[in-house]
Amino acid sequence: MRSTSPSRRFALQGLGALALAPSSVWPAVGGLPSATHDAWSPEWQQLSERLFPGRQLVAGQGTVQLIAPLRAAYGASVPVKVVSKLPQRPELHVRKLYLVVDKNPSPLAAVLDLSTEVGQADFETRLRVDEYSHVRVVSELSNGELHTDARYVKTSGGCTAPPNRDALHLIGRTQVKVAGELRMNEPTAADVTVVHPNDTGFELNQVTVMYIPPHFVRSINVSFAQRKVFDAELDFSVSENPTLRFNFVPHGRGELRAEVTDSKDAHFVGTLAIG
Amino acid sequence: MTKWRALALLLGLCTSALAAMAGVPAPYAPTVTLPTGTPQRFEFDLTTALRRARREHKRLYVYLGADDCAYCRKYEAFLQRNAMELAPHFAKDYLVVDLRSSLSVQADRLYIRVGEKALPYADFQRSIGDERARLLVYPSVWLLDANAKPLMQMPAGTGTFETVPEQLEILRLEQ
Repeated sequence: MRSTSPSRRFALQGLGALALAPSSVWPAVGGLPSATHDAWSPEWQQLSERLFPGRQLVAGQGTVQLIAPLRAAYGASVPVKVVSKLPQRPELHVRKLYLVVDKNPSPLAAVLDLSTEVGQADFETRLRVDEYSHVRVVSELSNGELHTDARYVKTSGGCTAPPNRDALHLIGRTQVKVAGELRMNEPTAADVTVVHPNDTGFELNQVTVMYIPPHFVRSINVSFAQRKVFDAELDFSVSENPTLRFNFVPHGRGELRAEVTDSKDAHFVGTLAIG
Repeated sequence: MTKWRALALLLGLCTSALAAMAGVPAPYAPTVTLPTGTPQRFEFDLTTALRRARREHKRLYVYLGADDCAYCRKYEAFLQRNAMELAPHFAKDYLVVDLRSSLSVQADRLYIRVGEKALPYADFQRSIGDERARLLVYPSVWLLDANAKPLMQMPAGTGTFETVPEQLEILRLEQ
């Protein structure tokens, strides 16, 4: 089982602190119309310099596209979809995907480290969005290029919404399933879902009036037939019961396996026999 | 009558007056819909409004408010303040339906009827593919076509469209 490196944890903490720093210079964005895909924000200016120092980011939807609603039903569960415009080939492929919510207390929601075994680097998940904010994806290609796309999402309270406490006894139950038709040697959609409150640390227990300590899924590593498909490092900006829809290329019989670690170092495993 | 009793009576009258003022302001020509089946259940019937929407080739702007809900008053006050600017945009495409509820009425007691079928809140939401099935929030708004099909996924509450440009975004179904 792989664990989060101390340096990455440090980086995440640093980014969280950065986002929490007071920003009195900029007016609230609330009320502005939907931003264009390459919209800038002061938070992103700082975040991008920390995450990708000295590197150029190409904005646009030619290589990667982020699909998210302008308004979602609930801020604690905003559906986002990443669509990659190039197939995963050894000569050029998506190496990493970064999901960022500019104004969240911890803006770096997920970092996905991909292999060519995903076939097609499309992902879907649900994120917490705490206030009116840009949601972004950065796609890092194997040649080092960085491409980015963003959507402006109008919602609030995503990190402080009362959590769903209906299934505490099921925490860690990890389900892997094929999402559509199983196609050999072609990208096939699959879902991994972990039953987990993904507590942010900003939610108030309505009975005790105490804050619920953070407790969230930190990583999901998915393999097929013992070959890495992707490793995801996650944060509490991912909604409760974290779900990732991804692709993998089944070359024959094998086990689709998801290994999960949470912030209390609990480990969970979900598997699905393919073929 | 003691002065405390008089004060209580006055407060009661004020509260009643405020409750009577609750709801979508008159410039929006709302069709006020009161619940039936109370107090066991609060059932709101959309059938007549949908029939009218079909006849007039309009959409429904269904507002669910509560008489004791501060956020409802906030949204209604916003509508009142901006009625001159907003009401014509509502009138162009929408029939406004004003469902009058109460904060004590939660998802298990709130029913929506369309034709022969009355469903509790969560089932109704699931039946129309609305993601807000999990939690009933006051106030709530649905944008429905004349067949009770949602025109777009609406957010819980009204906090993200309490400016004129944002309210217009909603009316234009911008997603």
